[in-house]
Amino acid sequence: MNAIGESVLARCKAQGAEDAELYISRGTEFTVRVYKGEIESLVSAESRGIGLRTFREHRVGFSYTSDFEPATLDSLVDEALLNGRYNHADDANVLPEPRPFEALTGLASPALAGLDPQRKIDFALEMERRATSLDARVRRVSDAMYSDGSGQVEIYNSRGLEASFDRTVAYGVLETIAEQDSEMQSGFAFTHGRDMDELDLAGVVKEAVENAAGLLGARPVPTASVPVVLHPHAAAMILGVLGSSFSADAVIKRRSLLAGKVGEPVAAEIVTITDDPRLPEGLASRPFDGEGVPAERNELIGAGVLKGYLHNTYTARRTNSRSTGSAVRSYKSVPEVGVSNLVLKPGALSREALLARVSNGLHVSQLSGLNTVNPVSGEFSLGLTGHWIENGHLTRPVKELTVAGNVIALLKKVVAVADDLRFMFAGGFCGSPTVLIEELPVGGL
Amino acid sequence: MPLLEQSLVDSVIKRALRSGADFVELFVERKRNQSISVEESKVQRVNSGNDLGAGLRIIHQGTVSYVYTEDLSEDGLLKTADLAAQIGRRGGGRFAFAELSGAPRPPQRIDVPPDAVGAEAKIELLLEADQAARAVSGAVKQVAVGYGQSAQEVLVATSEGIHHVDSRTRVRLMVHAVAERNGEIQTAMEAPGMQRGFEFFDDTSAAEYARAAAERAVALLDAAPSPAGQMAVIIGNEFGGVLFHEACGHGLEADFVVKGSTVFTGKIGQAVASPIVTAIDDGTLPSRWGTLTVDDEGVPTRRNVLIQDGVLVSYMYDRLRAGQQNHPVTGNGRRQSYQHLPIPRMTNTFIAAGAHTVEDIIAATPRGLYAKKLGAGQVDVTTGDFVFAVTEGYLIDGGRIGRPVRGATIVGNGPRALHKIDMVANDLKLAPGTCGKEGQGVPVSVGQPTIRISELTVGGTGVVPAGAMRQ
Repeated sequence: MNAIGESVLARCKAQGAEDAELYISRGTEFTVRVYKGEIESLVSAESRGIGLRTFREHRVGFSYTSDFEPATLDSLVDEALLNGRYNHADDANVLPEPRPFEALTGLASPALAGLDPQRKIDFALEMERRATSLDARVRRVSDAMYSDGSGQVEIYNSRGLEASFDRTVAYGVLETIAEQDSEMQSGFAFTHGRDMDELDLAGVVKEAVENAAGLLGARPVPTASVPVVLHPHAAAMILGVLGSSFSADAVIKRRSLLAGKVGEPVAAEIVTITDDPRLPEGLASRPFDGEGVPAERNELIGAGVLKGYLHNTYTARRTNSRSTGSAVRSYKSVPEVGVSNLVLKPGALSREALLARVSNGLHVSQLSGLNTVNPVSGEFSLGLTGHWIENGHLTRPVKELTVAGNVIALLKKVVAVADDLRFMFAGGFCGSPTVLIEELPVGGL
Repeated sequence: MPLLEQSLVDSVIKRALRSGADFVELFVERKRNQSISVEESKVQRVNSGNDLGAGLRIIHQGTVSYVYTEDLSEDGLLKTADLAAQIGRRGGGRFAFAELSGAPRPPQRIDVPPDAVGAEAKIELLLEADQAARAVSGAVKQVAVGYGQSAQEVLVATSEGIHHVDSRTRVRLMVHAVAERNGEIQTAMEAPGMQRGFEFFDDTSAAEYARAAAERAVALLDAAPSPAGQMAVIIGNEFGGVLFHEACGHGLEADFVVKGSTVFTGKIGQAVASPIVTAIDDGTLPSRWGTLTVDDEGVPTRRNVLIQDGVLVSYMYDRLRAGQQNHPVTGNGRRQSYQHLPIPRMTNTFIAAGAHTVEDIIAATPRGLYAKKLGAGQVDVTTGDFVFAVTEGYLIDGGRIGRPVRGATIVGNGPRALHKIDMVANDLKLAPGTCGKEGQGVPVSVGQPTIRISELTVGGTGVVPAGAMRQ
């Protein structure tokens, strides 16, 4: 244990805490934005913070600080204990007993720290340069950014837990502007990995350009009920919204649309959804959760049937279950329940074969207003952009449309799942292939 | 206690200048937060925390470099200055940075610093609110209430010799009610807040807000699914202003304008809205959520008219973009914390009051949707296309408020919708919110009087009423 951990835990004990837990995070950041062939801004930093939980008579206290001065660390302890005095006592407020966890290799790229910043700058410049030379209608880039970071998490608790892991991430973000006559459309794309070398420069450029240019001339269409194909990113965003309903905390507080449905069919049979914090390609992967509980793969929906919820130590204790290692947090917060890498299992069908099943329908490339979905009732009414599908092919672009329904009803209407799994950050790190929905009402003209 | 001794501020700036930078700025921030939550009628959480850190921005011929740290010791800050000087690169461009002007106003008046009030008084307030919400109806099955306070002190010092401080104290109440009947679940929330001390609760009744949220959640149980299609939409005052904020306000931020990535680029002096629309961003309003005496670049805030009688008058600038466009500063350079570069942001942004009454507007609307309260939304800044949830909505039928509807969203294009505003009421009100941009959240106010947009796309699961469709 490091010196800070020892001294803070010792003070907690001396001040009357029965148990205590220290969560320390440290990180580095490097971000470069370029514009018109020049560096627009560079950010470089190291940051850190500590969150402290104290336990006394089943009351939890919490306080955090980014200031590591000894006097501040002393008041961190006093404040957490004082805060705890006001909270209600609950037998479920306990620390997890330390359990050995299996290390996860490959979460951090050791090469990233030594990477020449000039190469990162060149990556951003190259994204911008290529994006403006692929398509005559795309001559401007509104955002070209490269960013990477490393993070270290350490957890110490009075039950003897000492755990830490390192993680790195790198990503490139590109937003282009397509213009034709007086119309402007923007196209966004990103690429991510654990190191700059894992980023797909050509892919992100192609996608950002196609996304913008492909929407030129988009028009609304008349209101209709049609088969809807969701691009993997659109489907992953819906998965992200569903994610909060797997939380046992949301279930306890009646804020989950999956409450009381364990063992029941909540989706079509071809739908299987897992939360897998040990996924090799998952950017949210971690060997243990925010309380130091070993991370494990959890099947949440298997062949359409709800298998269970995600738990932290508190919700597990409160509902006579076991923690699924799903505590998520930063140093500024207590451990909540949340997803890590949430994945809709791909099928055997290619994307083309899935599209070929649609003679007249809608392909949704982008959904907007996901934050408006009612997480309790599951009702949604979203804005969308995409393309009309005719005889299995994407034809004219469409916009200013809405699609409305209910998340559960939508899951039950999934009739095909393709094999083209793709990930994006949407609450957790969510992955989905292309999905075909039997029919949805689409509102337009 | 000053955030940082003047001598240390000076030596950090001097050190960073050694690389030959044109400009150095030190931003130091200390923020104390406290939050209390009551769920299931019990005190779940009393949390508190301290943020302390500094960010150093240096500019070399137009190229910006930024380094931040939590280590505010002399040693730590000088190392940060060295790192900033080291990563700083000479850009190819001309260095242009708008001059500061105007004198800072005195800081917001705080009568009762919230830190000086014990948690007991705050908890009592929350428990009262919890009970008030539950007393509304047996259908109210879950209530969550929360209290939040933050006290932020900032210091901005630059190589030009500017040295400004500001302190921003905010208190907020949050109420979330869940109503349930026959398997049907509906939710509603209220979240009033001001830049005031605990005296905010002398004239703000937590119980009243709690009752309002609970009543709305219960009323929604009887709401029918919203129809879909194009129709006239009346948007309620207060948080309804989020529509203007998202669909137009962001497009008036100068970083987008400089890059030509907003539809408002090059439109100064042109009619961008119906002539009955005047829109303002005002960082000086006393006690409002987005008010600042100086912005996060040390620029005194001001009242900026954005749109006057439908004509575009001004964008919102930070110092960098004001310099690039040779425009005076407007006091809109803001950042979430010391970990972020300042960028152009809104403060308190609203549509000015008009001549009509709400009753006039409803009576003048044969058919349509009355979106009395809006919820979350999203916008594409380049096109201005937006989507918003209607959290309290009613059908308008024959000039009267009809049955409540649920699950409605409104979808459209901000710049086009501005031209279609055909009635503006006299009931201007502001509401607090947190605005997100480039991963940075900052406190703002949105606001407007009740307005009518002659035609918008409404999304919903219900049947389209006859006559509401237009080709």
